[in-house]
Amino acid sequence: MENVDFDLDTRGLNCPLPILKAKKTINALTPGQTLRVTATDPGARKDFEAFCRQTGHELVESGESAGEFTFVIRKH
Amino acid sequence: MAKRLKAAERRASILAVAKVLFADKGFHGVSVDDIARRLGVSPAILYQHFPSKESLYEAVLSDIACTRENYVDAIVRGPSDFPGVLTGMTQVFVRSIARDPDYLRMEMLAALDNNPAAKQFFDHRWKSFTDFIEFSLDELAREQRVAQVNAKTASLMFQGMIREALYAKCIYNAEHYREFELPTLIERLMDLFLRALGYQQE
Repeated sequence: MENVDFDLDTRGLNCPLPILKAKKTINALTPGQTLRVTATDPGARKDFEAFCRQTGHELVESGESAGEFTFVIRKH
Repeated sequence: MAKRLKAAERRASILAVAKVLFADKGFHGVSVDDIARRLGVSPAILYQHFPSKESLYEAVLSDIACTRENYVDAIVRGPSDFPGVLTGMTQVFVRSIARDPDYLRMEMLAALDNNPAAKQFFDHRWKSFTDFIEFSLDELAREQRVAQVNAKTASLMFQGMIREALYAKCIYNAEHYREFELPTLIERLMDLFLRALGYQQE
């Protein structure tokens, strides 16, 4: 997804920091807005899948390239 | 002769027996033959479920330890400030240990065993806390909301404090602290930790 409303770089940070920063950032968005998170923590995929399951936000996209994970989340 | 079990039941029984033995004698003190003998099966049955003693040991630990999803749950549900997140994660961690203190025994023995895989497992568990504390203290120091403290020393203090509380309540069942339930003890220790940091609410 090319256009998102907000980008969050959590590269170099480990659990729980990517989730915590995503939670704080999403709280400031309006419903329907999208957040792209970039992470390097190897457990990030499971964390963000759990995060979206528990919060009801939509995990629009997730991908990985060269050790970097990208998640696009739409606020519900 | 051991009765036939379904695969999931067999796996669970192997983990249960392996846990008891590893918690008693550590990684190097237990052989696959020991575990098989206790189960009343051949070692080949164990290897059908776990390719090595190392993978069995890690599976035992993963079975006991709280999952990352538990931390995510604590963060999603709880307050987002430094004390809220740290307390939430700590209570999740402590609850999982209290449910099964064999984890602590295995950690103690792993420190003596010189087993790199085990050491990495346990170090990684604490890393979530130490990384969070050190990162947060750097941010809070810039905002002048904590005293000027060395973040690494602070995270070591935290580890020592929580580990000792767990030993006192879950291993030694120390008479001296019997009046405190573990969650209450953790709350009080967290309060002291924040005071030591000179933490200021926003």
